Amino acid sequence: MAEPATTRPKWIGQSMKRVEDPRFLRGKGRYIDDIRLPNMAVAAILRSPHAHARIVRIDTSAAERLPGVYAVVTGQDVRARMAPLPTFAVGPIYQDLLAVEKVRHVGEAVAAVVAENRYIAEDACELIEVEYEPLPPVVDPFAAMEPGAPLVHEALGSNVAYQRTFTFGDFDRDFNEADHIVRAKLRWPRSSGMPMETNGAIGDYDEGTGILTIYANSMNFTYFQWLIATSLKIPASKLRVVPINAGGSFGSKFFMHKVPTLAGFLSMVAGRPVKFVEDRIDHILNNDHCGSDRYYDVALAVDRDGTMRALQIKVVDDYGAYLQFGTGTHGNALAQVVGPYRIPSVQYELTAVLTNKNQQGAYRGFGSEVNNWVLERMVDFAARELGLDPVAIRRKNFIRPEQFPYRTPTGNIYDSGNYEGVLDKALALAEYDRWVAERERARQEGRYLGIGIVTAQERSVFSSTEFWFWFDQPGFPVTSSPESATVTIDPTGKFIVTLHSLAFWGNSPETVATQVVAEQFDIDPADVVVTYAASQRALPGTGPGGSRFTVMVTGALVGASGRLKEKIKKIAAHRLEVSPEDLEFHQGSVRVKGSPERALTLSEIALSAYMFKLDLPEDVESGLEASYTFDHPYTTLPSPDRKDLGVFYPFMGHACHIAVVEVDPETGQFTWHKYAAVADAGTVVNPMTLDGHLTGGTAQGLGTALYEEYVYDDRGQMLTASFMDYLVPTAMEVPRIDIDHQETPSPYTPYGIKGAGEGGRMMAPGVITAALEDALAPLGVRITELPITPAKLVRWIAEAKARGQAPTA
Amino acid sequence: MKPPVFDYRAPVSVEETQQALAEYQADGKLLAGGQSLVPMLNMRLARPAVLIDINRVTELAFVRADDGGLTIGALTRQQALLEHPTVQERWPLLAEATRHIGHRTIRNRGTVGGSLAHADPAAELPAVMLALDAVVTVSSTRGERQIPARDFVVDYLTTALEPTELLRSVWVPALPPRTGWAFQEVSRRHGDFALVAVAALVTLDAAGVCTDARLVLTGVGPTPVPVDLRQTLIGAAPSPAAVAAAAEAAQAAVDPPSDVHAPAEYRRHLARVLARRALTTAIERAGGTE
Repeated sequence: MAEPATTRPKWIGQSMKRVEDPRFLRGKGRYIDDIRLPNMAVAAILRSPHAHARIVRIDTSAAERLPGVYAVVTGQDVRARMAPLPTFAVGPIYQDLLAVEKVRHVGEAVAAVVAENRYIAEDACELIEVEYEPLPPVVDPFAAMEPGAPLVHEALGSNVAYQRTFTFGDFDRDFNEADHIVRAKLRWPRSSGMPMETNGAIGDYDEGTGILTIYANSMNFTYFQWLIATSLKIPASKLRVVPINAGGSFGSKFFMHKVPTLAGFLSMVAGRPVKFVEDRIDHILNNDHCGSDRYYDVALAVDRDGTMRALQIKVVDDYGAYLQFGTGTHGNALAQVVGPYRIPSVQYELTAVLTNKNQQGAYRGFGSEVNNWVLERMVDFAARELGLDPVAIRRKNFIRPEQFPYRTPTGNIYDSGNYEGVLDKALALAEYDRWVAERERARQEGRYLGIGIVTAQERSVFSSTEFWFWFDQPGFPVTSSPESATVTIDPTGKFIVTLHSLAFWGNSPETVATQVVAEQFDIDPADVVVTYAASQRALPGTGPGGSRFTVMVTGALVGASGRLKEKIKKIAAHRLEVSPEDLEFHQGSVRVKGSPERALTLSEIALSAYMFKLDLPEDVESGLEASYTFDHPYTTLPSPDRKDLGVFYPFMGHACHIAVVEVDPETGQFTWHKYAAVADAGTVVNPMTLDGHLTGGTAQGLGTALYEEYVYDDRGQMLTASFMDYLVPTAMEVPRIDIDHQETPSPYTPYGIKGAGEGGRMMAPGVITAALEDALAPLGVRITELPITPAKLVRWIAEAKARGQAPTA
Repeated sequence: MKPPVFDYRAPVSVEETQQALAEYQADGKLLAGGQSLVPMLNMRLARPAVLIDINRVTELAFVRADDGGLTIGALTRQQALLEHPTVQERWPLLAEATRHIGHRTIRNRGTVGGSLAHADPAAELPAVMLALDAVVTVSSTRGERQIPARDFVVDYLTTALEPTELLRSVWVPALPPRTGWAFQEVSRRHGDFALVAVAALVTLDAAGVCTDARLVLTGVGPTPVPVDLRQTLIGAAPSPAAVAAAAEAAQAAVDPPSDVHAPAEYRRHLARVLARRALTTAIERAGGTE
């Protein structure tokens, strides 16, 4: 790939103000619900009240008669005109846009109404008569695996969608030789991203041209535009997806295909533009992007001195009713399954179970945040059982700086790192020693003050093999997952950057692009405008997921800039009558090295490139534009026996979070004394926006640790379908977070950048759990499940006290 | 999440409001701050035929204090109540409890009368009014009547108001000298409904003997639960043992529900813990040494 232009960056590394802010902070951003097309109708969805039921009959006649209703569609219309929705699942696990023969979870879409407005559409939904034959629901994943359990997908013949044990390294030897085995059963419950703006789309079918335009707030439409077309049974060339600013995603708009497909389908049926925007209940019940829902049985083999020898993980994951991503979220976990530690061997048994719940999708961390929590729990348990200091046991097992690039047992490479450096910075930032002394004083006073520490990984930039290496003969071998950028200089010398994979989603894609282009050309960032290509003009792209955006788009921008700079130099060399190698970019101009007075401004060059072709060398085309598609810079195939999964997530960030809390053991409530976070994401492009990522991710991790849970009762009814019951932390619940960075550049990426979009949520659940457990250590409380509610803390304290008082056998 | 069709009326006086209520009877529903009613409308859990919006009935927005007590107009915003200097000075229990209602943006719209009339089982104001021995004034085209707070909330989301009646104001008597107070609440997040909340008032005489004590819990059942303290606290100088006994009585008096936020067991436990803490604080504030 092209080398970065300068050795000492000017714009990379600056806390430049976000270029997106002026329009969004003034309410001029324009979201999907702000868009009104002429003659546009609005849709609402009738959702299943049953977890599992056969659809016997649907009568839409009363709804169709309601004034203001334009169309009512059901699963039968979908079956007649559409193909099933896209899926990475292997085996007959199909999902239709609207349920056809049966419903498989509460909230599954059964019918859609297109009407003059949402009020009428919801009135009409109430008039649709659906006769259901309730089936026994499958709610508990262990019950789902029992012989004779009702089947979520009859054609599959089982509720176990996937089961396999992977062994990496000489597991049996390491496990059996170790002095001590630490064992725990751990539970991570289902939660989900809750962006302020839900998923939304407008379909606009042009009967004249046969072109369907879909406006959507999806994050990666280029990647799956053709899959939507396939579902709709139209040529991909006649589907144009237009990106619209998204008000947050956190994963929930990642593989967001159902909402755009629905809007497109309804527009084709109704013969007019149709908007569908989820309300909060739609989003919670059926956003298809719930996070992991896992039951762990884990064993960590250690020697008496704390040396970690082997890790055994048996995990049952309750995927819900469909399996759109296959078991990719465990591929993610396997990218960093041993954390920052030298654990030579691993055994990983995965059982993926189907139940009558909304399906899993992407949520910040994509399953690796769960593994971080599990591993850090095991390390803390090991420290306690061996009588070791939690900092010392981590330090002892860290991969050493000289061991990078480090090949982990699964085959994935960690590119670079300095974990002790991060740890020492974090200990200093948190004033760790002072808090240790404070903890002693508190305990003498009968107060419950605790300190938690986690040192964990943040993998970045997936290459997609994690979606298919589960199978020896995969049906869907996606690799690389590139990103593209186009850099255009207009005839006046100003810059236009086109991004190809995404809509703005609440982060800082335009700021990143602006800083990189300003760096490349040594120009004023104010001279850069960033736009988003609609799908018909879009080059290959994947979109922001798996903390890949900054690395990948920088690679694309550096590549496109390199091509464009070459052309500019060619033009300038011709006009200045020097060799291209003698030219350099300097503050909006191109000048001769050593003769700075011999220079042309970019606007002079641009004008000649656009207007005066005949003055240029013969092989120079008019215009100033270059594109580049950046493929994943370091990924390899898995071995056929799957003892080596290959390199699929190599740009390995790292972080240390430290929290200090004090628990009121009578109420189970606690107060924050300290929260400190040090992250190493390689070269930092913009420290301010990275701090924003870290803060928001930590807040979400705090939600997972303490508040958020999708609760289904034993009939599969959803008990947390609104913000009254699904508790997202607010500013009042999030402590001040002290942040520092260490920069250990990646040797494989442009500028040495690593991704860091998911870091906070990967660390916070672990550190909060550890701090609360440490606070209650004098009582003997051991925390093995989330969320940690006050009610549970009070119960665990009572149980620990009862154990302490019980006569020992 | 859009409401079904309803008609809308916006009276500007108490008289017009009463007429509208008389006209629509049970089909009419009063809209004040809307912090509970509007979500219920949007989720189609409430389906009134007519919304009678009383936000223009400004004669109902007032706070007046005299030697005998405090009168609060039904349309008084909760934030206005808690910021009122006289309320903060003379009825700090009321100000403190009101601070626990939602967030400031909610209290800027939510009204005192709305909270009482809605009678959410975890609401603060019905419990505090009960502890303060408040009296609610209601009226209709047929006249006006007073309802003591202890008779006002009759069941889950149900009050003694007739469908044609308007809650006009609530009167809170002045507190005797040497009266200490406390309000304790546990909720999942700041601003959430109480899992359990406790309001306490303790009055001591010159000798330090407890002459009156009130303890009311909310969040523990369909209606606020008053605890009889005659056997435990009243009639003697408060002691830690007496406070513990009163807290036991509080726990015994409640039969709380389980839901996604907390099991009944935890709420029962909190009833005792918060009762003890609230009474201890109230005794200290009354000048007693527990």
